Amino acid sequence: MNSIAQQFRHTNPAHEAFQDNDNEFFESGVDLKMAPSITVPPISQPTEFLRAHTDDASNPDCKIKIAHGTTTLAFRFKEGIIVAVDSRATAGDWIASQTVNKVIRINPFLLGTMAGGAADCQYWETWLGTQCRLHELREKERISVAAASKILGNLVYQYKGMGLSMGTMVCGFTKKEGPTIYYVDSDGSRLKGDMFCVGSGQTFAYGVLDSNYKWDLSVEDALYLGKRSILAAQHRDAYSGGSINLYHVTESGWVYHGNFDFDDTFWKVKASEGSFNNVDA
Amino acid sequence: MSVTSAVSSDYNSGVSNVPIEHQFNPYSDNGGTVLGIAGEDFAILAGDTRHTTGYSINSRYEPKVFSVGDELLITANGFAADGDALVKRFRNQLKWYHFDHKKNLTIKSAARFIQHLLYGKRFFPYYVHTIIAGLDEEGKGAVYSFDPVGSYEREQCRAGGGAASLIMPFLDNQVNFKNQMDPDSNGTAKKELKYLKLDEVISLVRDAFSSATERHINVGDGLEILIVTKDGVRTEYYPLKKD
Amino acid sequence: MDIVLGIKVSDGVVIATSKAATRGISILKDTDDKTRDLSDHNLMAFTGESGDTVQFAEYIQANIQLYNMREGHELSPYAVSHFVRNTLAKSLRSRKPYQVNALLAGYDTDKKTPSLSWIDYLGTKADLPYAAHGYAAFYTLSLLDHHYRKDMTVEDGLRLLKLCNKELNTRMPIDFKGLQVKVVNKDGVKVVDGEW
Repeated sequence: MNSIAQQFRHTNPAHEAFQDNDNEFFESGVDLKMAPSITVPPISQPTEFLRAHTDDASNPDCKIKIAHGTTTLAFRFKEGIIVAVDSRATAGDWIASQTVNKVIRINPFLLGTMAGGAADCQYWETWLGTQCRLHELREKERISVAAASKILGNLVYQYKGMGLSMGTMVCGFTKKEGPTIYYVDSDGSRLKGDMFCVGSGQTFAYGVLDSNYKWDLSVEDALYLGKRSILAAQHRDAYSGGSINLYHVTESGWVYHGNFDFDDTFWKVKASEGSFNNVDA
Repeated sequence: MSVTSAVSSDYNSGVSNVPIEHQFNPYSDNGGTVLGIAGEDFAILAGDTRHTTGYSINSRYEPKVFSVGDELLITANGFAADGDALVKRFRNQLKWYHFDHKKNLTIKSAARFIQHLLYGKRFFPYYVHTIIAGLDEEGKGAVYSFDPVGSYEREQCRAGGGAASLIMPFLDNQVNFKNQMDPDSNGTAKKELKYLKLDEVISLVRDAFSSATERHINVGDGLEILIVTKDGVRTEYYPLKKD
Repeated sequence: MDIVLGIKVSDGVVIATSKAATRGISILKDTDDKTRDLSDHNLMAFTGESGDTVQFAEYIQANIQLYNMREGHELSPYAVSHFVRNTLAKSLRSRKPYQVNALLAGYDTDKKTPSLSWIDYLGTKADLPYAAHGYAAFYTLSLLDHHYRKDMTVEDGLRLLKLCNKELNTRMPIDFKGLQVKVVNKDGVKVVDGEW
C-alpha cells in the first residue's frame, strides 16, 4: 500500500528527476556564485517570516524596523549629470537619522543613489564597487554604466520576492556612453533614461524638475535645479528631509558640490525666489 | 452529522494534509538602552544594566557594553541572545584577525566587518541596534551605529534601544547644539559646534540615563560607562533608581 | 496598464506597444521599448510583472540566437512560438513562475506566410489574425472585429492601427505616452516612424 502511495507523493525521486530535467534555470533558490552566503530561517516560508517581522506597512508593531522613505534624483544635461538626494532615514514615524549619506561612491566615475532599504542599498552598491574593480582588473578597462547597472540588476533579480527593497540610480560617464543614468529597482526593472526621481518624495521633485528642465542648462543652473527639486520634496514629503547632498558627474569623474542644511537653504531660497508663500516667516 | 459544521462534511473529514508548522517566533525584547558619544580624543559607550522580559526584571546587573580589545567598545542592544551572539562572533573573528595579520583592527574596518555580520542574516535578522565606539586612525573619537541588517554611519553621538527616542533629541540639542543660537548674535547665528570635554560628556550621559529611568519602564538599576582614550579603556559605574 | 497589440496582414504583421514605463504613480520613462527582436524575422512584444518581462524576453532572445548560431538557420515563427509557450509552461510549474504575457510576430521565409501568436503567462497559445493583451483588448478588439479583412496589406494594417490608437487615446484613463510600432515582413523587422 505504502509503495503505491509513494508513487504519487511529491517527493518521489522519479518525479524529482523529471523536474530537475535541465530546467535548473527556474530554481530561484538563492545560490549566487558572485554573492556572499546569507542565512535564511529554517521554515517553509522564509519570506512570510521576514515580512511579519520587518514590514511595518503590513505589521505596524513589528519589532525590526527597516529604514524607508527618501527623495533622490538624477538628470542628464549638456554638461553631464546632476545627482541630488536628501539625507533623512525613517523607521515608522521615528526619524532615525538626518545625516544619512544616500549617494554611494562606487568608484571615481560611478555614483549609486539610495532609496528603500538602507542596508540593502549600502551593502549591494559597495558590493557592486568590488565587482566593478574586478572588471577593471580582468578587462584592463573601466566598466560601462550599462554593464555595472546590469550586474546590480541581475543580482537583485535573483533575490526577487525575498523582500529586498531598493530603488537606485547608477550614474556615470564613460568614453563610449557619455553621461548615462540607469534606474535599477528591487523588482528587477532596469531602465536607461535622461531623468529619474525615486522615493516617497519623487512626485514633488518631478514637479519642479520637469517644469524647469532644459538640456542646455549651465552647470550652475543645473546644480541649483537639483538642489531646488530636493528642497521641494523635503518641504512636502514628511519622509524626506535633513539636508541635501549634491553631485555633478563629468567626463573626468564625479565632483561633490557639498551638503546643504534644509532649514538654511529653505529660508535662503524663499527669500531670494519669493516662493514658498504657503509659509509665513 | 452537525448542520452547523463548516469545516467537515460527509465529503470532507476536515483532516488536511498540510504539514504541521508551529509558530516560529525566535525574537524577544530584553529592554535597556545604550548611548555612544565621540569626543575629540576619546569616545564613550554607555548602557544601563537592567535586563527584562515583558514586565519582569530578570537582573539588575547584566552588562551589555563590552570592551573587546584593540580599544574597541561594542554593544548590540535589543534581543539579548542575538546581541550576545553578535558580540561573541565579533570577538572570535577579531582573535583570528590578530592571528592572521598581527595588527590591531581599526574601528573603520570593524564597522565594515559588522555590516557583513549583520547583513549575512538579512533574511533572518539579528534583532539588535548595534553601536561601536573607539578612536580612529588619527586618534579622534569615533562612534559608528548600525540598523538591524547592517546599514551604518559614523556619527558624533547615537542613542539606541528602548529609550532612544527619549535620549536622542536631548543629544541633538546638547552635543550637536541643534536649535541653539549664539547668545551674542541676537538670534541670527547658530551656536558654533565644539568638542565637549570628557567630564561634560559624562555628566550628559548621567543626565540622559537618570531622565530615561524616570520615564521608561525598561531602563534603570545601574549605568555602566566605558571610556576609551589613548591610555586605554576605563569603566565607570553609577547607580540608577531601582523601581 | 501596458498596451500590446498585434495585427496580422497578408504580407506581414504589425505590432504596437505603449511607450510609458510606469512604476507606482509615476511614469519613469516615455520611450520604453516593450519588444525584443528574437531573430531576423521574429519579434516578441511583452507585458507583465516588472523585472520578469525583460529577463524573460532576453532569455528567449538569447536562446533563439544561440539556436540560429548552432544550427546555421533561422527558427520558424511556428517553432519560436512553441518554444516560448513551452518555456512559460515549464516556468509555471516551477517555484517562481515568470509572470509575462507575450505576442509573437513572425514571417516564415520558407512558407512565405506571416504569423501572429498570443501567449499568456499560463502557457496558453493561440494563433490569431489580431490580438491584444491587457485593457487595450477591451477597447480595440471590437474595432478589429469590425474592420479587419484577411487580404489587407501592411498599409491597411497601419490604417487600422491608427483607428485603434485613436480609440485608446480617447477612452484610456491614463496617458500611455503613445505607441511604438513595428512591422515584421519578408524584409525583417522595421520600426514604423511617425507620431502614434
